Amino acid sequence: MATDLASLQRWMQHCIQQPGECDGEMVNQARELVKPSSTLESEERLDIYRGMYLLRMQEALEVDYPGLAKFLGLDEFMRLVSRYVDLYPSRSYTLNRLGDRLPAFLETISDIRKPEFCRDLARLELLLTQVFDETETPALTAEQIAAVPQDAWEGARLRPIAAFRLAAFDYPVSQYLGAVDEENPYPQIRKRKTWIAAYRRNYQVHRLDLNRQASEILGLLAEGKTLGDALTAVRVPQSRLFQWFRDWVSEGLFHAVELGT
Amino acid sequence: MANNRWGYPDLGFGIGLRSVHYEHILQNRPKIDWFEILSENYLDTGGRPLSVLDQVAERYPVVLHGVSMSVGSIDPVNVDYLNKLKALGQRVNARWISDHLCWTGVSGMNTHDLLPMPYTDESLRHTAKRVRQIQEILERPIALENPSTYLEFSGSTWNESDFLVQLAKEADCGILLDVNNVYVSSFNHGFDAEKYIDGIPADRVVQIHLAGHTHKGTHILDTHSDYVIDTVWDLYRYTYQRIGAVSTLLEWDASIPEFDIVHAEALKAKAHREAAAMPEMEEAAAYGD
Repeated sequence: MATDLASLQRWMQHCIQQPGECDGEMVNQARELVKPSSTLESEERLDIYRGMYLLRMQEALEVDYPGLAKFLGLDEFMRLVSRYVDLYPSRSYTLNRLGDRLPAFLETISDIRKPEFCRDLARLELLLTQVFDETETPALTAEQIAAVPQDAWEGARLRPIAAFRLAAFDYPVSQYLGAVDEENPYPQIRKRKTWIAAYRRNYQVHRLDLNRQASEILGLLAEGKTLGDALTAVRVPQSRLFQWFRDWVSEGLFHAVELGT
Repeated sequence: MANNRWGYPDLGFGIGLRSVHYEHILQNRPKIDWFEILSENYLDTGGRPLSVLDQVAERYPVVLHGVSMSVGSIDPVNVDYLNKLKALGQRVNARWISDHLCWTGVSGMNTHDLLPMPYTDESLRHTAKRVRQIQEILERPIALENPSTYLEFSGSTWNESDFLVQLAKEADCGILLDVNNVYVSSFNHGFDAEKYIDGIPADRVVQIHLAGHTHKGTHILDTHSDYVIDTVWDLYRYTYQRIGAVSTLLEWDASIPEFDIVHAEALKAKAHREAAAMPEMEEAAAYGD
């Protein structure tokens, strides 16, 4: 085998990323390229790096997907990690981006436990990591709200903070994640449509359960629609809307209010 | 008084800034000489880590320590990464920037492991060229750490200590001497740890690392998950006697205990340094200095 730097690095990386046991060819190559120690054969020394690679990937993905890891259990999660990084090895200087394609990868497989639930759960957990890392934008203050003339609200556009995401799910994944966070018994997994706002306040990531109408209004506002247009599209009693609005402002979901000209 | 050629000061005894200690540090403002951060944890984020880092950097000296520079890789250097690293260094007034003598991936991939270099003339020329390029982009010298390694290539023609020193000379970069790594690799490869340290010129050393490790019987893993063992403390004292007072950092990255325990472990280094200095002082006193 060639022993120049490029060949050695390509060979070693290939060995490390190759799932499964060291095969016969790899053993022979290791014996040619790697010195044995007084206690370990060449291939055993190579195996240290091979084992650590997958563990490191698993640890990184477990940080971003704690709920999914808990749901699948260590063995099934490890198998998932192995398949995932085989297809999508890290190409970044940071492990924080390793899991970005996991929800999309889960769309392509069905041989895991409750695949639809896992897809929803992974989608939510990815949103939470995005919210965690988003740029900090100050939230709208009560004084800024009070300064808006009453008759200007209909044409006002409410801009959400950068660390804000909305999503709809077919399963109550936020409830499941809440149980994981609190170390409570896990709820039964039954299909039920849910809507979530994920956002950050004082550098802490939060989830807000919404109903369909609240989610639709927030979605339209996030798209840049005026408050008047959003309320025309989604009809809700005024008293409920006022309550939602108070809650959303107090949770710091909005960054700015732009008044129409 | 700095012993290194760049005049980097002896910052004293620091620890790695870790998220489990954020609250403690912000609330209690502990008396600690300095912090080292894992650079990649603070890139591409606008969240809490960066906010905490800004507050820490207002009160303490900060040093950037990275794991993705991949100085020995055959891939082109990652200019985007280096520009972000440079900006982070400026943001927190980093006293210096360090990484490892290793490669982490090729063909655009990153294994996120500190993989061993073959110590050959070819890799020396290649790595020195890359380090010079990296330093030009960062506009400052970097320090390279001797890694813990678990295999050696049959084709190596240099020992690690000589390779590192020659690289530092050719690239004109500093050395971050990890005393625990010297011990770990000396066990794994069967070399003399003190001889390794003897080969390191004091004027290249800008920082020292200490950490705990995990002994697996057949080999030692550099896990940063425990107290520093006595043999490594002995080696630290030996290093101090050879190299002098250098900024010393205690790493604890797995099974991290509460802040005070990690800090107390770092302060043991101070006691060891003082103990190592004592015969010298007594000798000086005897000569009326």
